Amino acid sequence: MADGNPVNDTALRDEVRAWLAANWKELPKQKAGAGGAGWTVSEEQKAWLAKVVEARWAAPRWPEEWYGRGLQDAQARIIEREFAAVGAPGAGQDRTNLWANTLLAGGSEALKQKLIGPLLRQEVGMCLLYSEPGAGSDLAGIRTRAERSGDHYVVNGQKVWTSGAATADYGMLIARTDWDVPKHAGISFFFLPMKQPGVEVRPLRQITDESHFNEVFITDAIVPEENLLKGLGEGWGVLQTALAYERSVMGEGARGPRSGAAESKTEEPLIALAREAGRLGDPLLRQDLARVIGYKRLNALNTARAKANLAQGTSSPVMSLGKLAMSRILHEEARVRAEILGAGSLLEGANYPRAEDANFLALNAYFTSIGGGTDQIQRNIIGERVLGLPKEPEVDRDIPFRDVKSGR
Amino acid sequence: MATLSVEERTALQDAVIRLLADKSTEADVRRVMESERGYDPELWSQLADMGVAGLIVEEAFGGAGAGPLELEAVTEAAGAVLLCSPLLASSVLAAALLQALGDEEAKARLLPGIAAGTLIATVALTGDTGTWTEEGVSVTASKAAPPLLAGAANYVIHGQNADVLLVLARAEDGLAVFEVDPKDSGVTIEALPTFDHTLRLARVVFDKAAGRRLQGKAGAAMRSALDMALVALAGEQAGASQRCLEFTIDYAKNRYQFGRAIGSFQAIKHMAADLLLETESAISAARHAAAKLAEGAKDADAAVSLAAFACAEAFTRTTADAIQMHGGIAFTWDHPAHLYLRRARADAQLFGAPAVHRERFLQALGA
Repeated sequence: MADGNPVNDTALRDEVRAWLAANWKELPKQKAGAGGAGWTVSEEQKAWLAKVVEARWAAPRWPEEWYGRGLQDAQARIIEREFAAVGAPGAGQDRTNLWANTLLAGGSEALKQKLIGPLLRQEVGMCLLYSEPGAGSDLAGIRTRAERSGDHYVVNGQKVWTSGAATADYGMLIARTDWDVPKHAGISFFFLPMKQPGVEVRPLRQITDESHFNEVFITDAIVPEENLLKGLGEGWGVLQTALAYERSVMGEGARGPRSGAAESKTEEPLIALAREAGRLGDPLLRQDLARVIGYKRLNALNTARAKANLAQGTSSPVMSLGKLAMSRILHEEARVRAEILGAGSLLEGANYPRAEDANFLALNAYFTSIGGGTDQIQRNIIGERVLGLPKEPEVDRDIPFRDVKSGR
Repeated sequence: MATLSVEERTALQDAVIRLLADKSTEADVRRVMESERGYDPELWSQLADMGVAGLIVEEAFGGAGAGPLELEAVTEAAGAVLLCSPLLASSVLAAALLQALGDEEAKARLLPGIAAGTLIATVALTGDTGTWTEEGVSVTASKAAPPLLAGAANYVIHGQNADVLLVLARAEDGLAVFEVDPKDSGVTIEALPTFDHTLRLARVVFDKAAGRRLQGKAGAAMRSALDMALVALAGEQAGASQRCLEFTIDYAKNRYQFGRAIGSFQAIKHMAADLLLETESAISAARHAAAKLAEGAKDADAAVSLAAFACAEAFTRTTADAIQMHGGIAFTWDHPAHLYLRRARADAQLFGAPAVHRERFLQALGA
């Protein structure tokens, strides 16, 4: 531990095991919450998390004053593995809890005292207030403003693509606090209280006819000054930290079919579908099947190689390629599903689950190829950060944001 | 089969990289590809001294006793510089075929020379159909003693340089491998003009050529040797693709138009990002196939066929796009990009086209 009582791996493993044996029992099955539609942490789960936090298993890499044990990564992984082995949630939050990590890295003392514990125990709901209708790929072009007024800030603007907004207690907000400096320098990062009259949440209807996201209209909403992370104008840096945590837990996978119709677990779903449709003998289709399944296998191999490199301490360009690869896989897989079905893909609804799945997946593939940075932005990032190609000249980089052209 | 440690493998690869950086420069490749033999005997002998010619040959016969993992590591390095050599023909195809057949007498007779690099062997397999399968074999062997061979084998790698031909032929009792002396009066070898000038191919016609029948299961041995060759080829494709991407990126950083490096334009940057995905996937696939083949895994079939089509297409696309990204300079003979494109197009056909491997991949998955 940080106080000079290092434990050895075996003792630590024994301690976690004994604790889990004494405390862990299966939680009741949760209802599948639809993406960001609601905050669905059950009472049993909250009670369990509270125990985990109290026993200092939730964030062992953190210092003791913040529920941690000051452990190195290798020992923290031992704890995570023991939790994973019995299926218990709540460990490894110092690696995966976006909200708590962002707050710990940049929050005021008062805000940390108030929220770190509840965040680890998942007692408070959170959402992201980043994108705006006018600031998508160009996130630093946000126009939501926060203006100081006494001991608080007054916020006005519009945010979009916010999941969980309706039930959230706080939103991680980026807002412009200085219009006379270049765009990246005038942004500040806040924890905006969501449950107040100036915050209006409206669900967005997606092309998949689902509503996982909201628009958030902010009119004269109040945020206390203690809810500012780091300093004024330092929001872009905080955001980069937050995005890094987000990306580290994203991209592991994507949603599959939603109809609930059974799919083969013993062989590649596409092969099983083609077999079911009596199309497995079609030589043209077979070429397509091999191509798409090949993409999936290659991506898995790339990820495995990147992880092996990381374990050896060498960085790999492969990790940054995963999201781009996944986009292609999802779009291609959906295309081949439709090809297998042929005219069958004209239909939709519960009585036509295969068509429902093929069409849903074709639309939902854009979730990956647009969300979290479009494929085009991702190619820029790979080109610039991995391959070292020069950036495009940016006409808005070094001028006061006030003078930056906007389309609206 | 015995396998080198990871450290030994890396050391071997580094040594090969250093030697080739010195002896297989672009100028060397251009000189050697226009020579009659199509490889540099001196460099080949140096590679043999290093253990490359006998890399997969059993230690009892003077080889290093290594396997697919080491072979793949070496061919990545060889591919990167477009090495001109009989490696694939003699040290991979022929050596793997002999070892898979298990005819001890033939192994003792031929493998030491192959390992020393002093004997160039090759495998005559496909006929004029150009399919590297049992069905593609069109040479027949008579019942006479010694058996007499008739028919033609096509696209025989380094056939014109071979000291010994291992010929797949249909005997009365099925497919068999025959050892044939290329100087036999019944053998006519026609060197073929190749689109990839770094490659040597020949068409070999047999007219009552005397063959020595080798013991062993020819069909299975042929498939095993082809798998080894496909892994070697995948490594070559991955390594060459990576090198081609490197010099293309380098050019995009240094070529200025409209007052900017062309690599700053998204039109170029996005192509580069896509090629990185292709190339890194090829490297993953080639190494994975080598690992699966080395451990004799049940799913080695799927891994080898995946590498075969993924690496072929990655290399072809990378080299094709590389020329486009360079613009006019790469349309000139003096620029190396076309040498890589030529190799890519050749490699994509050797031992079966991508479509063939995709079909095999699907079958390996049970479809």
